[in-house]
Amino acid sequence: MNKFLLSSCAIAGALLSFSSSSFAETLNVYTYDSFASDWGPGPKIKANFEKECGCDVNFVTVDSSVGILSRVQLEGKSSEADVVLGLDLNLMQKAKQTGLLAESGVDTSHVVTPTPWTDPVFVPFDQGYFAFIYNSETLSSPPTSLQDIVENQNLRVIYQDPRTSTPGLGLLLWMKAVYGDKAADAWATLAKHTVTVTKGWYDGYSLFLKGESDVVLSYTTSPAYHVVAEGKHQYKAAPASEGFYPQVEVAAMLKNAPHPALAKQFMSFILTPGFQSTVATGNWMFPVIKQDKPLPAVFKTLPKPTKVLTLDADEVAQQRKAWINEWLEATTR
Amino acid sequence: MIYRLSVMRQLVRLLPALIGVLLFVLVGAASLAALLHHMDMSQWKGYLQDAYLWRIIRFSLWQALLSSVLSLLIAIPVASCLSHREFKGKRVLLQLFAVSMVVPTIVAILGIVVVYGRSGWLADGLGVHVPLYGLLGILLAHVFFNMPLAVRLLIQGYDLIPSGQWRLASQLGFSRGTSFRLIEWPYIKKVLPGAFVLIFMLCFSSFSVVLSLGGGPKSSTLEVAIYQALRFDFDLDKASFLSLLQVAICTLVATLIYKVAPKNQQDVSLLRAQCFFVKDTRVARCFDGFIMTLALLLVLPPFVAIFDPIFSAQFLPTLLAPATWQALWVSLKIALPAAMLSVLLGGCFGVLARMAMGRGWWDFLPSKLEHLGNMILMVPGLVLATGLFLLLRSLGFGLQSSYWVVVWVNAVMALPFVLRVLMPVLYQQERRYRNVYSSLGIYGWSRFKIEWSLIRSSVAQALGYALLLSLGDMGVIALFGSQGLVSLPLYLFQLVGSYRLEEGACVAVILISLCLILFYLATRVIGGKSDVRD
Repeated sequence: MNKFLLSSCAIAGALLSFSSSSFAETLNVYTYDSFASDWGPGPKIKANFEKECGCDVNFVTVDSSVGILSRVQLEGKSSEADVVLGLDLNLMQKAKQTGLLAESGVDTSHVVTPTPWTDPVFVPFDQGYFAFIYNSETLSSPPTSLQDIVENQNLRVIYQDPRTSTPGLGLLLWMKAVYGDKAADAWATLAKHTVTVTKGWYDGYSLFLKGESDVVLSYTTSPAYHVVAEGKHQYKAAPASEGFYPQVEVAAMLKNAPHPALAKQFMSFILTPGFQSTVATGNWMFPVIKQDKPLPAVFKTLPKPTKVLTLDADEVAQQRKAWINEWLEATTR
Repeated sequence: MIYRLSVMRQLVRLLPALIGVLLFVLVGAASLAALLHHMDMSQWKGYLQDAYLWRIIRFSLWQALLSSVLSLLIAIPVASCLSHREFKGKRVLLQLFAVSMVVPTIVAILGIVVVYGRSGWLADGLGVHVPLYGLLGILLAHVFFNMPLAVRLLIQGYDLIPSGQWRLASQLGFSRGTSFRLIEWPYIKKVLPGAFVLIFMLCFSSFSVVLSLGGGPKSSTLEVAIYQALRFDFDLDKASFLSLLQVAICTLVATLIYKVAPKNQQDVSLLRAQCFFVKDTRVARCFDGFIMTLALLLVLPPFVAIFDPIFSAQFLPTLLAPATWQALWVSLKIALPAAMLSVLLGGCFGVLARMAMGRGWWDFLPSKLEHLGNMILMVPGLVLATGLFLLLRSLGFGLQSSYWVVVWVNAVMALPFVLRVLMPVLYQQERRYRNVYSSLGIYGWSRFKIEWSLIRSSVAQALGYALLLSLGDMGVIALFGSQGLVSLPLYLFQLVGSYRLEEGACVAVILISLCLILFYLATRVIGGKSDVRD
């Protein structure tokens, strides 16, 4: 017992000294864990921004992008967060409704996103498109449209649950944008040759890599990782003739940010090369501004959208629950 | 007057234990209150009318029932065989059985897929295609997680069998069947309800396994709905309603089980004994061989698949990476205090339950206390952590306190396992020594010293389980974590979350190896050499 007390005191002491060792102001950025991991863009961004601001950047990591929002909601007005980094298009409306976010005041006119960026609160930091990935060595006639994937009964599909994961929600909206009122029937057709619906992106993607399905829901940029980091060329993103549904990841600062000036500075920093140059090979997504330095060659080979599908943000916020229920109803028929 | 004084004295002696249990209850209740604070009962009727909700409840009950019955059905003969026979590798096998339940779910799922999947060993090697996705996959995974746990719990029950009974069986020339019926079964019956409830609750609230191997939203559990309400919708009201519903259902099941189960009656066994030789027959040998092969076929191949990355080129770089060691250190920093705290709490529960045991009106208390400890498993960890988080925020604690919160929640989450292991032994000691203690006036620390040699192996096992559970924890640390608090499982998820599946698999091997080593050390150092018997 004494030993336990002693050791816990020692640990507490170590923690205290750790937290009070720096005198510069600390900017708290809430983000998802892979963003801030050693191989993610986080460390480079931290170094680049610390050079500019003379401050410390502290990433507080949460397990997923929805996790960031619920963490901030839990903490409410007393949150220590200055900036939240890693929400996406479909969470924006919900995040705004919490009333916890402030307008960034950043000029986003030079941002290149699927639809012109006008939102005063959020600043986009990277983008991509949802897509189904296949292994070109094992799948001889890959699908060329979302309809192919839905209707080809020989194609074994894995996707993520829209109730628990962002790509899953992305697919839900993609289907809605393509099929509209007939989405329920499309889901039912897809359900007949769905292998499984996983909790998160990594469960599904790992199962796919183990050979459990022909296609898996991911991003158009996924093959770039396999080429650049592993030198594997067999993984390809299936084109979709109906158009792709975009994923734009965004950041925002908080109304009650403890360090509002730093937070503002960071929000502008997002659209500078110091931040944007890190996202392609750090987060495996496309940057949101034109860059001087070209991206690795493989990014040019990724399928480009013939058309970008989008749904109105308000409609998404209002209908999300109804659409999820429609999906549930159709897939459990 | 004298009577009252003695009651007072008793209470003072129980004070530390009371404080421990009260602390547990208070923190739990306050966290729940912080969550329920956001509640709006008017919505509840609407939730209950949701047809999908009832469908998933039915499915959850069904798969949890099948999983736990199957796990126990296999575990009983395996435990019997393991306690009668000595063979090479038995120790290692038992160690492996201890860690199976803390294998991170994604790793276990991939292990099972490698064996039973479409391009798995069974399909490639034997050409057998298993319809994995659906109930079968869920059962395979749940048996993989829980059958070994059940075996270990049952073997603990075997340890309570007095040597006199075995000696008699040996002298009378009992066959394995007769000795099972007359000697082993009565003791198994004592462990069975607790083990069933534990495994049932684990399966009932299983999440990733059910989604990933279930083949679609048809297979889903309440836990999924709770996660959705809490994380995606941030609907605290619905989340707390669903958690209460889960607690209610599990309590109902537990009550039913304990109703049909025999009341906890411990016999006075004088010394913990080794199992005497019971007549061996060819039938017994065949049966043991069959059941062990079945159990090993269910558990070993996924383990082999999980350990496979040792041979990959990635393994050494991953093992040597500073980030891995950093994560390992964080894991230890959390697991060690959490495990000690958990055993301490378990001890508090045990002392109180012992005192109340068989004392007229108080006799109801032991089972209630055990249930209190078990409640933790019924409340989803995420909900528990969220409540505690809200509570601490309202008390003004910030990010800095997250380390202690993670330690506390982990300790509390391990409590049901600690209680399962500790309680039977503590009850037994109480039966054995109560009269001696009261007639000789032995109290407190002296009692502990007398009993230590008899309970140390159980304490060690409890500590071992608490260590394993805290090492494997993912949900709690993910909610509270900040940079600098990246444990091994979290590191694993970061890796697989950014395409690095191979490195993730290597980290899983490191994590499981660490679990094996720590469990071995805990049982060896605290439990003493297992062949040292009095």
